[in-house]
Amino acid sequence: MNLIAGVDIGNATTEVAIANVSDRNRQDFLASGIVKTSGIKGTRQNIHGVIAALKQALKKLDRSIEDLKLVRVNEAAPVIGDVAMETITETIITESTMIGHNPSTPGGMGLGIGVTVPIKDLQYSKPNEEVIVLIPRTVDFEDAAKSMNFVLHQGVNINGAIVQKDDGVLINNRLEKKIPIVDEVKLIDKVPIGMKAALEVAPAGGVVEVLSNPYGIATVFELSGEETKMIVPISRALIGNRSAVIIKTPKGDVKERHIPAGKIFFEGKKRRAEINVDEGAKKMMDTLNATAPVNDIKGEPGTNAGGMLERVRQVMSELTKQHPRDIMIQDMLAVDTFVPQKVKGGLAEEFSMENAVGIAAMVKADKLQMQMIADELEKELDVQVEVGGVEADMAIRGALSTPGTNIPVAILDLGAGSTDASFMNKEGKVKYVHLAGAGNMVTMLINSELGLDDMALAEDIKKYSLAKVESLYHIRHEDGTVQFFEHPLDPKIFARVVILKKNEMIPIPYDFSIEKLRMVRRQAKEKVFVTNALRSLRMVYPTGNVRDIEFVVLLGGSSLDFEVPQLITDALSQHGVVAGRGNIRGIEGPRNAVATGLILSMNEKGGDSL
Amino acid sequence: MEVNEKMIRQVIEEVLAGMQQEKDTTPQSAATPSHNEELFAEGGNAERGTRKDEVVVAVAPAFGKYQTDTIVHVPHREVIREVIAGIEEEGLTARLIRVKRTSDVAFVAHDAAEYSGSGIGIGIQSKGTTVIHQKDLVPLSNLELFPQAPLLTLETFRLIGKNAAKYAKGESPNPVPTMNDQMARPKYQAIAALLHIKETQYVEKHTKPVALELK
Repeated sequence: MNLIAGVDIGNATTEVAIANVSDRNRQDFLASGIVKTSGIKGTRQNIHGVIAALKQALKKLDRSIEDLKLVRVNEAAPVIGDVAMETITETIITESTMIGHNPSTPGGMGLGIGVTVPIKDLQYSKPNEEVIVLIPRTVDFEDAAKSMNFVLHQGVNINGAIVQKDDGVLINNRLEKKIPIVDEVKLIDKVPIGMKAALEVAPAGGVVEVLSNPYGIATVFELSGEETKMIVPISRALIGNRSAVIIKTPKGDVKERHIPAGKIFFEGKKRRAEINVDEGAKKMMDTLNATAPVNDIKGEPGTNAGGMLERVRQVMSELTKQHPRDIMIQDMLAVDTFVPQKVKGGLAEEFSMENAVGIAAMVKADKLQMQMIADELEKELDVQVEVGGVEADMAIRGALSTPGTNIPVAILDLGAGSTDASFMNKEGKVKYVHLAGAGNMVTMLINSELGLDDMALAEDIKKYSLAKVESLYHIRHEDGTVQFFEHPLDPKIFARVVILKKNEMIPIPYDFSIEKLRMVRRQAKEKVFVTNALRSLRMVYPTGNVRDIEFVVLLGGSSLDFEVPQLITDALSQHGVVAGRGNIRGIEGPRNAVATGLILSMNEKGGDSL
Repeated sequence: MEVNEKMIRQVIEEVLAGMQQEKDTTPQSAATPSHNEELFAEGGNAERGTRKDEVVVAVAPAFGKYQTDTIVHVPHREVIREVIAGIEEEGLTARLIRVKRTSDVAFVAHDAAEYSGSGIGIGIQSKGTTVIHQKDLVPLSNLELFPQAPLLTLETFRLIGKNAAKYAKGESPNPVPTMNDQMARPKYQAIAALLHIKETQYVEKHTKPVALELK
């Protein structure tokens, strides 16, 4: 028996395949193993993971490490991806002109216009005066309703109310005249008094229509054309809300400000270009494409963009013990996203979805790291260890063990840190690229778009499907199917949206609808994986046209995802390409391609080392 | 021991007074209040609700009748008002019942849930301990439990009503934030036990919950 092990150290997992190589043309694959990569790929810490994975696989065969003849390690592409996020807009309200938050239960409905009056001064209002009442926390809902009913009898026209506590419905139920009421306005004492205000509450399930329309506001406040131009940001900020208040003050304004995030410089082989981060992801990617192939990407020193890219460089330089100057950032994926941010100057602690740019960067270092790991490993194991062929080569060889594949073939390796593509033509020549942005970036986008601040939860949302616990005996899956249970579920998850993680149900501790979560999750995956799939295939295919590729095999941990392969297959099928999840050696699924390829490629190298 | 005897005496007196009162309450006079300080008018046996938009609030045997405030002297009238307000703010209706068969707040709340058309009920003990329950749960489980009665303020009771209503609507509210005080137990344990014993005196086993109306 000649037991040979192929070891693939990836960003997230270390995979092992073990085969009995009896002669030059026969490999019998016996077992495989998979563990989490220890430390960052390409560093000394990986050795623990490799040993654990080898032991795991050998245990299935009742063998130990001493029985191995040879260990082949991939010549890992020394690329590391890192991700960062930068907010590029902010909303500022000056002089308390607007309340645009969304209390879950406003009172009444309709549009009310009047002058703001605190409830304690309501008694001084004259008949036929049009007023909007301000009700602070200290006034009980019954007292408020009583005094409002009293002045209504005196002929004062109360047209709306702004309430500090969550009393909107309660007050409305006790009023003789139904008026729109906006409640839960936390900083009510900052609402200007004696100013003309307009207040709108939409019916349940609806959104404000008058105040989200610039001409609606112009009608209410009798604005001129010039003035109407000024209030466009206000009406825009109110789109999609169920309730809103606008107060006309002499200098009030709502602004959307661009935060200068700094410039990014692309140093291409042929030309250079620079771009402002706050111009958005699309322009950044266009500039990147225009300068391709890229030697290095730098950020403007002293800005957020600079900090973001230099951090990646710094981490990589520490890992590889090279000078940061020698670390080149060779690819970047920028994605437009949204981050919920508290509105500056808001009266109800409103949040606004601000624009942000998410960036994944890909760093290339020198190749010696793997040899160092192999040497160390050899010492530790007392077994011959050699660095095998290029990772992309090995991956294709492994991928071709999928039943039904044939050359020419392209593979997409969807990992955690990078998306790799390679293409093998009829002559067996391989071309490959490593692109920034993969699973980790999806997690980051989900985390920031939902404002979770909990990467572990975002990771779970990314990986598993959702369901709503509708009763203690049944759940409704995100596709609408109902599943019943014989025993009651845990009351902690009652009425919650849960993540269906293997045999557990993890409740999501925020009030998101299942539709919203699903949309954010799918969009994050599309923004990263579909974009990168098309981008990388264009790069490896000689004609640069995705349409000309016939077969695409999806590999790597992220292609185990329950929807990423569908999203990519769907996107590629529009180009007439057959794409599908690989099945290495017909049994391994999309995993273990490189480890398998390392063993398969032995005989081609002559197998001299045996 | 002396305290105990005294208390038992007092309790017996109260029970006797209660029995007397029950004798006095003939069916005709049931509608008219027989006791000025009582918070509720008791009706006949409560019905099982069918409306999906109701939350049943069940009070323990002595609530608003033999005891009038919680362990930290929050008046029962205010407690009930805030719980109902919380439910109303969410657009649902509250229905009141009194559970007489037990003084255990878990079972009081579970009875409330079983009688509630939405399957969601709130149980409140006289000393203030409160539970939000769901009819399919076993009694000793719960959706939300507020065990430290001395820390429950009127604001908390409003939120309890609100959350129960949200469960009834099928929303997923965040549990009501509550305080935790390590000293609550040593400080209040004795009086809590007393209040619970006092409440238990009024338990009438094998009786059905009765409908209540706020006076």
